Amino acid sequence: MRAKELGLAGCHTCGLLLRLPETGHAHCPRCASPLHLRTPNSISTTWALLIAAIAMYLPANIFPVMAVTSLGNTQADTIMSGVIYFLKHGDWPLALIIFVASVLVPLLKMLALTYLLVSVQRRSPFRKHQRTKLYRITELVGRWSMVDVFVVALLVALVQVGQLATIEPGVGAIAFASVVILTMVAALRFDPRLIWDH
Amino acid sequence: MLQPGSAARCQCCNSVLVHRPKGGLDRTIALYLAALILLILANAFPFLTLDIQGREEITTILGASIGLYQSGMGELAVVVLITSVLGPAMLIACSLYVLLAVRYRLPLPAVRPVLAWISHLEPWGMLDVFMLGVLVSFVKLAGMATMHTGLSLYAFVGLILVTAAATAAFEPYLLWQRLGLPQRGRHAG
Repeated sequence: MRAKELGLAGCHTCGLLLRLPETGHAHCPRCASPLHLRTPNSISTTWALLIAAIAMYLPANIFPVMAVTSLGNTQADTIMSGVIYFLKHGDWPLALIIFVASVLVPLLKMLALTYLLVSVQRRSPFRKHQRTKLYRITELVGRWSMVDVFVVALLVALVQVGQLATIEPGVGAIAFASVVILTMVAALRFDPRLIWDH
Repeated sequence: MLQPGSAARCQCCNSVLVHRPKGGLDRTIALYLAALILLILANAFPFLTLDIQGREEITTILGASIGLYQSGMGELAVVVLITSVLGPAMLIACSLYVLLAVRYRLPLPAVRPVLAWISHLEPWGMLDVFMLGVLVSFVKLAGMATMHTGLSLYAFVGLILVTAAATAAFEPYLLWQRLGLPQRGRHAG
């Protein structure tokens, strides 16, 4: 038996269980949040944010995230060239961390959200437990992609020595940060209970 | 009624719905107080000192956002400021505010809106990710300069561990239960 079948709605903010009125519009008496059976417009909002993230993924990987100037030479660094830099210096554990966090995780996250959205829209009864787990993992690992943005910020802050070397942030960093934020908000807007509704 | 240390799970997907942390509110309050002290220490002292041919560059956690702002990346500076300083600070402050109000029945204003806010704040504190960024930057600069760790770095590591324990011991649904329905005619906060 599920709450939805009984016409009961759990408040999304404070968890209070209430009978939803016929009109479907009500506010929680305990915390004043609007009440819904499911997150409103969950699928279309998630799609919109996901498509925006996919659009930003290209500039995030093409444009440099930072430019290092030392002794008159400027060298632009993209996300992939950062990975290659560590590989060349034999730091393969770090190369792996950056590759997984910055390239693989955003890509897999966008694929996972696409699959979850399509399967919910097609009312698929396929492996609901595994799909819920996929959603929980997607929600959990997404924030780790921010690591490259922090690296750029820290390098810019630390290396401001003027004549010797300067590091400037690049537009790629903004595009990359927006991919991470857009996919995070997309995952938050997706209502995993939709998986179990069919 | 849930026993301390146990959790109620969804009968459909087995996710945790509500859990009752061991040690009650007192342990949660203690952890958040420790987090507050570590947060102040972590932000008050230099984080890393960089030594390039006799010139010293000192950076605080806040310095990461300021550097971006000075390089003309205001938008990115705001993102880093929220995830590394403001988000964690507000999460700790808001949680303590609500916990103390509920535990000692203090008639503080706006307890309900603040508690409703906390769940929206949680995903945006990224101290652990920031720490990984520090490690990567460390290796990247290792060949170029000598680096010294500051007191703040140790406070920061402690802060990550204590915040993780504190958020695990924080259950908003139990706090809502203790707040109950607002009484008519009284201050609704």
